[in-house]
Amino acid sequence: MSCTLGEVKNRADFIIYWGGNPAECHPRHFTKYALTPKGKFIPRGRKDRTMVLVDIRETMSAKAADIFLQVRPGKDFEMLTILRALVKGQRINEDAVAETGLKLEQLQDLVARMKAAKFGVLFFGMGLSMTRGKHMNSAAALTLAAEMNAFTKFVAMPMRGHGNVTGADVIMRYTTTYPFGIHMGRGYPRFNPGEYSTIDLLVRGDNDATLVLGADPGATMPKPAIEHLKRTPTIVLDPKVTHTSRLSRVHITTAATGISAPGTVYRMDEIPLPLSPPLKSPYPTDEEVMRRIREAVQRKEPWYPVPTSAPQMT
Amino acid sequence: MIRIRNGKVYDPANGVNGVIRDVCIADGKIVAEVDVAARTLDATGMFVFPGGVDVHTHIGGAALNFARGLIPEQHRKATPIFHSQYRRAGIIGTTPTTFATGYVYAGMGWTTANEAAVPVLSAKHTHEELHDTPIIDKTCCVLMANNEIVLDLLENDEQDRAKQVVAWYVWAAKAYGIKAVNPGGVAGWKWGKDCKGLSDVIPGYKKVTPAKMISSLAQIADELNLPHPVHIHCNNLGAPGNASTTIETMKILEGRRAHLAHLQYHAYGGDDWFTMRSAAVEIAEHFNANTNLTCDAGAVLFGNTVTVTADGPWQHLLYQLTGRKWGNLDVENETGCGVVPYVYKEKNVVNAVQWAVGLELLLLITDPWRICLTTDHPNGATFWRYPEIVQLLMNADFRKEQLKQFPDSTLSRMVLPELTREYTLSEIAIITSAGPARTLGLTQKGHLGIGADADIAIYNESNDVAQMFAHPRYVIKSGEVVVEEGELRKSGEGRQFAVKPEYDESIEDFLRPLFQQHYTMSFENYPVSCDRVHNLEVHACKYCGK
Repeated sequence: MSCTLGEVKNRADFIIYWGGNPAECHPRHFTKYALTPKGKFIPRGRKDRTMVLVDIRETMSAKAADIFLQVRPGKDFEMLTILRALVKGQRINEDAVAETGLKLEQLQDLVARMKAAKFGVLFFGMGLSMTRGKHMNSAAALTLAAEMNAFTKFVAMPMRGHGNVTGADVIMRYTTTYPFGIHMGRGYPRFNPGEYSTIDLLVRGDNDATLVLGADPGATMPKPAIEHLKRTPTIVLDPKVTHTSRLSRVHITTAATGISAPGTVYRMDEIPLPLSPPLKSPYPTDEEVMRRIREAVQRKEPWYPVPTSAPQMT
Repeated sequence: MIRIRNGKVYDPANGVNGVIRDVCIADGKIVAEVDVAARTLDATGMFVFPGGVDVHTHIGGAALNFARGLIPEQHRKATPIFHSQYRRAGIIGTTPTTFATGYVYAGMGWTTANEAAVPVLSAKHTHEELHDTPIIDKTCCVLMANNEIVLDLLENDEQDRAKQVVAWYVWAAKAYGIKAVNPGGVAGWKWGKDCKGLSDVIPGYKKVTPAKMISSLAQIADELNLPHPVHIHCNNLGAPGNASTTIETMKILEGRRAHLAHLQYHAYGGDDWFTMRSAAVEIAEHFNANTNLTCDAGAVLFGNTVTVTADGPWQHLLYQLTGRKWGNLDVENETGCGVVPYVYKEKNVVNAVQWAVGLELLLLITDPWRICLTTDHPNGATFWRYPEIVQLLMNADFRKEQLKQFPDSTLSRMVLPELTREYTLSEIAIITSAGPARTLGLTQKGHLGIGADADIAIYNESNDVAQMFAHPRYVIKSGEVVVEEGELRKSGEGRQFAVKPEYDESIEDFLRPLFQQHYTMSFENYPVSCDRVHNLEVHACKYCGK
């Protein structure tokens, strides 16, 4: 259960950031949406809001928090589940609480504040979605928010990555129904995270070549993935020469989107924003390059049999 | 140039009812004659229908795309579409991908669709998806009944300014009409509440009621001369006993035209889930008497689907009832959406009543021009199952067979067993094409008269009506054969229709500071520019009905 960021600005009086560090990673989040701006129903801005930060260590974001809860690394799922139980008034095992590194009173206080809120929002980051439990943590956070709706208005939203990852997700979904990890090799979309997601494919060496657009896997991925990128043809399209460019066969410099290339970017809450580039660039846009590559591929003779009539479909 | 020779033509808008005659096409339109050089399609033994027009469906945009992401386990089992020279790859299932949507509608002989719910804030997203929906022509309706700027104006009785704002929004979204979903209820849901009584004050306000919003929007649609009347998803959807809310809504609309969406979901009697029953007789009676109204069926079919609607509070209830996955996305200042995967089961008494009510409304409403065939895709059933409904309407014996599976305790909640009416082919052409085209005010659609768009479906005559309507022999769109021998041929991109209602440009001075305060996007970035709407055709604001 989610909302666009304007709803947060206008209504949210209780904010939880979990496993994220907006002060450093989403620097305009506090001032544009979540903490300081005056909203339609939040006339005093920051004064009308309470912010709780849940993380394994005190980050820069803790300075802005009213309450900081230091959860033990790898124990987010347990903490979320205990909160779900407390919300429903169920009995809690003391050992379970102790595992999280927090005290029962802290968790009870958090739940009381959540229920007293007029509009609560839980923003969760990679500290939740990428640590022990992974998508199970995200599921637990979303379920907590869903169940809170029996008591008050409550939403949960992921703090999405930079660039236009949200836009890519949106378009993948409307052309294939799946957000990522999509295999088109059989002529229709198939989805299996863990099998078709990027790191898994590269580590296993399943693909023959890689085209990298708007990302820098050479900077962050595990060594076997990088080795595979090195030994197979890798092509990079980027405004800058990246770590990945340095191990690829071809690097094509393209115009920076939003600065000298037009288009649309999807904000982290999936709102499309038009880009009006203020500058010109001597380099082609990503779109131009991709079109020319596609046209060149279409001119090639196919190496696989091409059906001349439609296949039988049940 | 094409000549369709010797087919049995059904063109109810022009009084043609199963007459064997030729239909000629040139330059994308129906013409009186073509010369001998024209391609000839031999339609001997076939029926020739105007292409289907879907007046209420959800085929693209933020809410439907949200639904796609929620159900990957369903997509795995869905029929895929393989990439080929003429086809982009895709997945059909309950929330078809954009390309698949165009192909499957065209494959069934449906050539125009109205995306029924668009938030202005994400209208650019909707238009992107409609751009990638090939072949069919498209319109969309923009959500207004929970817009906070409009609510604030109505609270202060600023009726005229509200009209300027609505007109501005319709053009900003590049929309074709106005949609109202659970007026006041979705605004209440922003605080976790609903608004079920039409005279109740909307949560967060002191004066304005759903009744005020409904009558204001109906008045605005009339004053702006929109070709399609205000399109209303009534309050209290899905609840036992909600027929009284629907009848009250009809009373509020007296004297004004309006289109009631998916009427099936708003035609229940009873006091609770145990006593829930059909109130189709009562609803049909009032509807038949109120000739200013049109509606679409919103019929339900048994099977798996996913519910997608702007009615956020209803979806929260459905989540609590079913325990299934629930997605919700509130849109600042405007509306929201809720998504819950759902299965309609024969053994579920409520679902059985819902199944009956859709058919009862189609059979009890006497004027087929005023009720359109829909399932509120994907809510009641996916659109590619429309032929099953056609079969149920045309064949009373087949209906009787289906009714045998229900126990007496279920049958006593419905009147369907008593209904013997059978739809004729002409009436089917009306509810699937001519009627919805007229309701939408698309004068060039839904008929085969000279000058009409050449959107035509040609069916092999067959006793198996469901099979017949599911597999047309030929489908022509804008004068080009797009489906032939069960295969997709060319794939044009279709057009999008919008309207530009008249408004005083100075309303932007009123809106700009409000945007600054309450939205999170700059005012300049908000409207959809014309170049973002593919093959845009702006239609005149001209109500063409009676």
